[in-house]
Amino acid sequence: MITSPPPPVRLMSPDERRRWLLSTWRYAVPTLVSAALVLVMLAPLPLPVPAMPQLGLMAVLAWAMLQPALMPPWAAFFIGALADMLLGMPLGLNATLFALATGAMRLIDAGTGERGHGFDWAVAGVMLLAVLLLTGPLMALAGQPVPMAPLLWQLPASLLMWPLVVRFCADVQRRLVASANAMA
Amino acid sequence: MDWTPPPRRPSAMRREQNLSLVSAVVSGGVITAGLLLLLVARVNPQTASRLRMAAADVAAPLWSAVRAPVDGMSRLFEDVGGYFGAVSRAQALAEQLDLANARLRQSRLEARELAQLKKLLAVREPTRRVIAATRIAAAMSGGAVRSAMLAVGSSSGVARDMPVIGSDGLVGRTTETGRYSSRVLLITDSISRVPVIVERTGQAGLLAGRGEPTLLLVDRVGPDLPLRIGDRIVTSGDGGVFPPGLPVGRVIDAHAAAPVIRPAQPPLGAGFVTIEAAWLPSPTPEPTGPVFDAPVPTEARQRGAPRPRLRPSPRSADPAATVPS
Repeated sequence: MITSPPPPVRLMSPDERRRWLLSTWRYAVPTLVSAALVLVMLAPLPLPVPAMPQLGLMAVLAWAMLQPALMPPWAAFFIGALADMLLGMPLGLNATLFALATGAMRLIDAGTGERGHGFDWAVAGVMLLAVLLLTGPLMALAGQPVPMAPLLWQLPASLLMWPLVVRFCADVQRRLVASANAMA
Repeated sequence: MDWTPPPRRPSAMRREQNLSLVSAVVSGGVITAGLLLLLVARVNPQTASRLRMAAADVAAPLWSAVRAPVDGMSRLFEDVGGYFGAVSRAQALAEQLDLANARLRQSRLEARELAQLKKLLAVREPTRRVIAATRIAAAMSGGAVRSAMLAVGSSSGVARDMPVIGSDGLVGRTTETGRYSSRVLLITDSISRVPVIVERTGQAGLLAGRGEPTLLLVDRVGPDLPLRIGDRIVTSGDGGVFPPGLPVGRVIDAHAAAPVIRPAQPPLGAGFVTIEAAWLPSPTPEPTGPVFDAPVPTEARQRGAPRPRLRPSPRSADPAATVPS
């Protein structure tokens, strides 16, 4: 756990209660990190092809693997809604896709036991591809059909960035655990 | 035949089952809500524009602040690089200047003739007016939408449907404005259409984005002369948003069914851009909603009721009485 489990509320002294309340911000860290990576996607890079990796979605997937309890589908929904608002897409597109991806990740988690980094990478690749393939129909549902081919540029870039994103999220998690242990 | 009660499940197990059921229901509800939002966006695309611009009002100034040191560094490197090869560049520029001067002498003559002709015909032309000059603060360089954000908004006089122009050519037009930010639909987006003409042949057409770095020239009308590679494409001024004569791109593939155009100004490498007023003033829409002929009581007006909106009539010349919607 990245926080120590809360003691029974009625048994806490005021000092303990204050410290516990102040430590609850840790529950929001996965959401905040994912939202920050959505902001990073707005970097105005003069790329020759539209290949900005889907950092927000990858962060959501990584946290759904690392801390499934702290990245439920509804949190992913809000991160996706933020991505929709910042990226100028119809509201609900990324929200639906992120929530779907997190739900699917839960099912996969329940179905598989111990697994390695390579397996996670493959799962993330399949998820990213599925999200890209679903973007077209959902954009059409929102009344703005887009050509599919340029979307697929994002896939190789995202696959290459996956280890970095996972490493970053795991690093954040490690620091959180260390600070939680130091407090306890 | 004695009846034994079934063994109670441990409460922790039951709680776990309840929790997983609740989370499954919440997940399903969230996904349904997302699909419903998409349907709402289909019916009314403007639904979330307030929310979008509130988010952009935060993000665009943030990115323009983050960019500042990087821009300073790159400008420093450009300055240093400018010293190398200065002599050969100066010679090349002098040659170009001679050529341009010759053309200029010719075009001065023609300009005077043109001015005389226009005076004879009493042609009135609107003028271009720069609203703001800024950098592209943030942009979307992947995914389904090609848009950029500028860190100027309605507080600087930017409104929607204004042309955004880079140093080498057209970049896009504004689609939504917040207080301190505006969103630009880049010409490479798949819903962007720019009315253009081919400079050499005078053929008119539409420049359609397709989500890729290159554009397509579609719906050509007019003299059907074959295009050549390198033909310049400029805006025609039709539609009233983009001023005429603005360079947009060059033909790089002339023989396809829809010729492929490379933008004169790659939208994401634009650096500084200017936002100009729309070329022709867009027709102000009639006030929508009910028109009140009855006077509004003073008490109601003191509490913030709008001024009476009078039906436009030739006699009511008081412009303050008509509140635009």
